[in-house]
Amino acid sequence: MDAATTPTAPTTTPRFNPLLPYFAVFRTDLRQTFHSWLFRLWVMVVIVAAVGYGLYKFGIHREVGLVQSASEQTGVLLGTVGVITLAFVSLVAVHAISGERGTVADSILSRGISRRQYFAAKWHARTGVLLATFAVLSAGVLTAYHYLLEPDLTFRGCAAGIAVAVAVLAAVVAWGVTVGAMSNGTVIGVTLFWLVLFGGLFLLSFLPSPFPSGAGLLAALRTTLRGHFDLVRISQVVGVFTLVAAVGGGVGLMGYSKKDV
Amino acid sequence: MAADAPALVVETSHLTKIYQDRQIALNDLSVAVEPGAVMGLLGPNGAGKTTFLRLVLGLHSPTAGWCNVFGRRMHPNAADLRRRIGYIPTNPQFPRGMTPIEYLDYIGRLFGMTREARKPKLAKLIRAVDLLPQSGQPISNFTPGMTARLAVASSLINDPDLLIWDEPTHGLDVEARRGMLELIKTLAAEKSMILSSHNLSDIDEVCNHAAVLNKGHLIFHGSLQELKGRIRKNHYELDLEGDQKNITKSVQQVKAMKEVISAAMRHRRLELKLTDDVGNTGVLAMIMQTLFDNKVTLVSVRSVGAQTETAYLDLVEKEEQRGFARLFQAMPEAA
Repeated sequence: MDAATTPTAPTTTPRFNPLLPYFAVFRTDLRQTFHSWLFRLWVMVVIVAAVGYGLYKFGIHREVGLVQSASEQTGVLLGTVGVITLAFVSLVAVHAISGERGTVADSILSRGISRRQYFAAKWHARTGVLLATFAVLSAGVLTAYHYLLEPDLTFRGCAAGIAVAVAVLAAVVAWGVTVGAMSNGTVIGVTLFWLVLFGGLFLLSFLPSPFPSGAGLLAALRTTLRGHFDLVRISQVVGVFTLVAAVGGGVGLMGYSKKDV
Repeated sequence: MAADAPALVVETSHLTKIYQDRQIALNDLSVAVEPGAVMGLLGPNGAGKTTFLRLVLGLHSPTAGWCNVFGRRMHPNAADLRRRIGYIPTNPQFPRGMTPIEYLDYIGRLFGMTREARKPKLAKLIRAVDLLPQSGQPISNFTPGMTARLAVASSLINDPDLLIWDEPTHGLDVEARRGMLELIKTLAAEKSMILSSHNLSDIDEVCNHAAVLNKGHLIFHGSLQELKGRIRKNHYELDLEGDQKNITKSVQQVKAMKEVISAAMRHRRLELKLTDDVGNTGVLAMIMQTLFDNKVTLVSVRSVGAQTETAYLDLVEKEEQRGFARLFQAMPEAA
């Protein structure tokens, strides 16, 4: 049969919803993140560290009689758990797109979804899961420490502290997803990202007072949790990190929409 | 009128892909796939077949040249064009932990299909590919045959106009392969298809057009009949029986004939290549007479080459032999 003489009958394109592909990837990624062992390990490490440290300090507070302020101990806990959280969160973020590189990505991106939609869905899903989980864990730790230890925490202070931490994590997640999308593999991506992230924190610790440092931020967090903070300053910090997150996501959206997969 | 002609399903012009300035995967490829065509994409490993398919799908961006699908330029964000394509990659893999129902529902949503459209469709497809008993099992436990059937279902869920299947029979057992080929024949009646395969007999069976790639370069594009027409004619194999001395003597005499280009003996099988200048019947008669005179029995005679496989191998061989001549032939085309 001559192919040229037998044109394909025009098929009616089924009704479609242009936002469905975005929500399909978003929903699937939410589920994948919740089921991933990396995410579960992070949550477990944070819970075990918080419970263990909290019980230890509770024992000292009640049995030995040494006063342990909740804000002080939360600050100390965050000094350790914060680094672990940064490491895990960045790993989960970088893995979002680089983990699907290959035929799994092929089988998704060869369908009716644009690159921009795919990247945005991945970015938003990881941001949502990681930030919500961190906020819930933080709220749980703060509540528990408030009742177990010397209660010097305020609701407004805790809300401000969580807001700042969440904004910082949002920036980390956005740039993590972008680095994962633009790199050729999870190992390369996460190595690069950790080098920049932890290298940057290390370098900041050598800079003088006006520049932010890890120790300085933890000290500020303790006073914030007690309710001593400048709302304008907190808003500015949250705004800056939200902007950094948006720029990271924007760079990823543009870069990934042109990249070979 | 040209305006009334249906748009080409796929059209590429000087399509070139160079990876990171290190590897030329595709070089100056210009092809057109007409509506209704079933094009077989042939070529050895590393010829650029998968790169070509990925460019057509917009998974890769061309370094130079362009690729139109359904008359419009393909690019990574052309989701509306991909909505009309059904794709199966080589060795398809699926997200972990999903069942066939969940996976097909996911693919349906990726195509933007509403619940009313995708739920009945996925149920119909699962039944059609005979995965009903496994529809609730995790895909990770599937055999290659079941995986291939699920991949077929996922490529058909959007009722595509163009099917792009990259080595669909790869890794399948004989029965599954036969089923796949029959399915392709059925689908070919109503859809345009591009099939990449190493298995030339598959291409021979189901395709009506062929494109042959070698080291990223298109060395043939046309109908399968045209490809077969390029085979070397007058190429025969004769299985002989008799005394070894007599066989050797007769082969010497055959070699001496001016109409015979080559005569090689291999395990009592005589491979003959004759010139195209004279009628083959006359030369064959002379050869038979020589065998008869030397008391050699002819067990069988076979004409080699009336197959796609031979035509393909000849094309690749000729391309390899052309050397720098490729450059000179390519110049006017490019201009």
